Amino acid sequence: MRDYIRLAGTLAIVCIVAAALLGLTNIITADKIVEQTVKANTEARRAVFMAANSFDQIEFANEAAPLVAEVYEAKQDGSLIGYVFKSATKGYAGTVEIMVGIDMNGVVQGVKVGNNNETPGLGKKAEEAVFQQQFSGKLSSAQVAVVKNGTPKENEVVAIAGATITSKAVADGVNQAMAAFKQLAGK
Amino acid sequence: MKLWKTFFNGIIVENPALRLVLGMCPLLAVTTSIQAGIGMGAAVIFVLLGSNLFISLIKKIVPGEVRIPIYIVVIATFVTMVQLFVKAFAPVLDKQLGIFIPLIVVNCVILARAEAFASKNKAVPSILDGLGMGLGFTLALVIVSSIREILGAGTFFGISLFGEAYKPLLIMILPPGGFMVLGFTIAAVNKLTEKKKS
Amino acid sequence: MKIIAILISAILVNNFVLSRFLGICPFLGVSKKVETALGMGLAVTFVMALASVMTWLVQVFILDMLNLGYLQTIAFILVIASLVQFVEMVIKKTSPTLYQALGVYLPLITTNCAVLGVTILNIQESYNLIETLINGVGAALGFTLAIVLFAGVRERLETAPIPKALQGFPIALITASLLSIAFLGFSGLSIFK
Repeated sequence: MRDYIRLAGTLAIVCIVAAALLGLTNIITADKIVEQTVKANTEARRAVFMAANSFDQIEFANEAAPLVAEVYEAKQDGSLIGYVFKSATKGYAGTVEIMVGIDMNGVVQGVKVGNNNETPGLGKKAEEAVFQQQFSGKLSSAQVAVVKNGTPKENEVVAIAGATITSKAVADGVNQAMAAFKQLAGK
Repeated sequence: MKLWKTFFNGIIVENPALRLVLGMCPLLAVTTSIQAGIGMGAAVIFVLLGSNLFISLIKKIVPGEVRIPIYIVVIATFVTMVQLFVKAFAPVLDKQLGIFIPLIVVNCVILARAEAFASKNKAVPSILDGLGMGLGFTLALVIVSSIREILGAGTFFGISLFGEAYKPLLIMILPPGGFMVLGFTIAAVNKLTEKKKS
Repeated sequence: MKIIAILISAILVNNFVLSRFLGICPFLGVSKKVETALGMGLAVTFVMALASVMTWLVQVFILDMLNLGYLQTIAFILVIASLVQFVEMVIKKTSPTLYQALGVYLPLITTNCAVLGVTILNIQESYNLIETLINGVGAALGFTLAIVLFAGVRERLETAPIPKALQGFPIALITASLLSIAFLGFSGLSIFK
């Protein structure tokens, strides 16, 4: 019986010390972690909408754009200048997160590919600026289409070599954002 | 003299990854870039140092029957500390290593050192053992990740090495490349040490 | 639909061993014979399914409620360690045959990173309880599939002439690499678009 108390007691003491240490670490790091998350999120939104300096999340649910997960109002010094959409479409390996910024005139300000599990060297190239920049300046009035090669027309982008599915997934994300924009802007 | 031996033991003679073949998961998973490899190494060194020191200090009051659960708690505590600090101060590294930071808890290297060394030795040798083993593990991470990054992406620390003309051997940064590079690295180490003996 | 997608993904597309690199130690250590590989696989399946459910409950009803998310790692590893111990005791008492088959593998499972890995992934993917269970079982079946296939190849390797430096782990890793290439073929497999 005394043995049991000794065993349980030592375990309990070790656990208490461990919990205390971790509690302390948490106090030091908790604010910083929140700050980092907020910073990372704001930066991701700023990357697709340079002109805006603050973003407010709004409620959005619409059948026209089922894959749009989050919508933010992009504001410049408090006045609404456009929207940032986060959509999640199906790529080659799992979902691909896409951030799209669209201004009040329906012009795409920027596109950024976020979390994804695409193949390194192929689909992962969607994260590169060369591919993403193709979307900037596209108008929300026409859907974006993907072409495999050649010179893209007004509403077309050139797919990444060997990764058509990923390219289409990104285009899908942008089209979804455009559909959501039309609902919001009433156009 | 003996202390030096303890230190170098982990780096070369008993390199935990390449000689004892322990802790394979991170060695395969986070070695697609050198940066991630070094980050992982640093995290492992910190945990090993902390757990080895702590366990050598409390070895007298730990009852033998419950030593393993106690070691696990100690290791998990240090791992969580690393996890929180990395999240707070190095978010990029956090994204690269992802789930493999909490998984340091079950890295066999750490529990093995606690059981085989720290529980039998004083604080100073235990620190040196932890440092040596940690550096040895980092060395393995750096070797494997260098080979994979150079061949698989044509870059070293993210800097392009061969210019546009080089078509990277994609397979090297995909999962099969991890197994292959590690296999050949261990074979090379075997070959080298074999020669020394004869 | 989503459940089947999770199951297929865990077994084939994102196979825990061959594409996520989880559970490599037992994969290399206990794969010399098909029979033992199968035993290990079954033991892992059993523990993983239980652990997935238990840790999900701990996360939702204890850690989230008390706002103690930062204790996740330590709480999960303790749950898994005690679960393994408990399962070992129960099997020993109730079914000596099962204990003979699985007993030796059980202590090894605590440090199998696939188990801790799957429980953390369940939370990260914010699965509900049923999806968690399916993901746990799927991951374990994927592990079993990989280790049994691998053991089959290794049994043949025993009789093959292999250069001295490559014997043992190196050739095993290279074999795993080839197996992993085969599993790469599953990526991009989409069932319900």
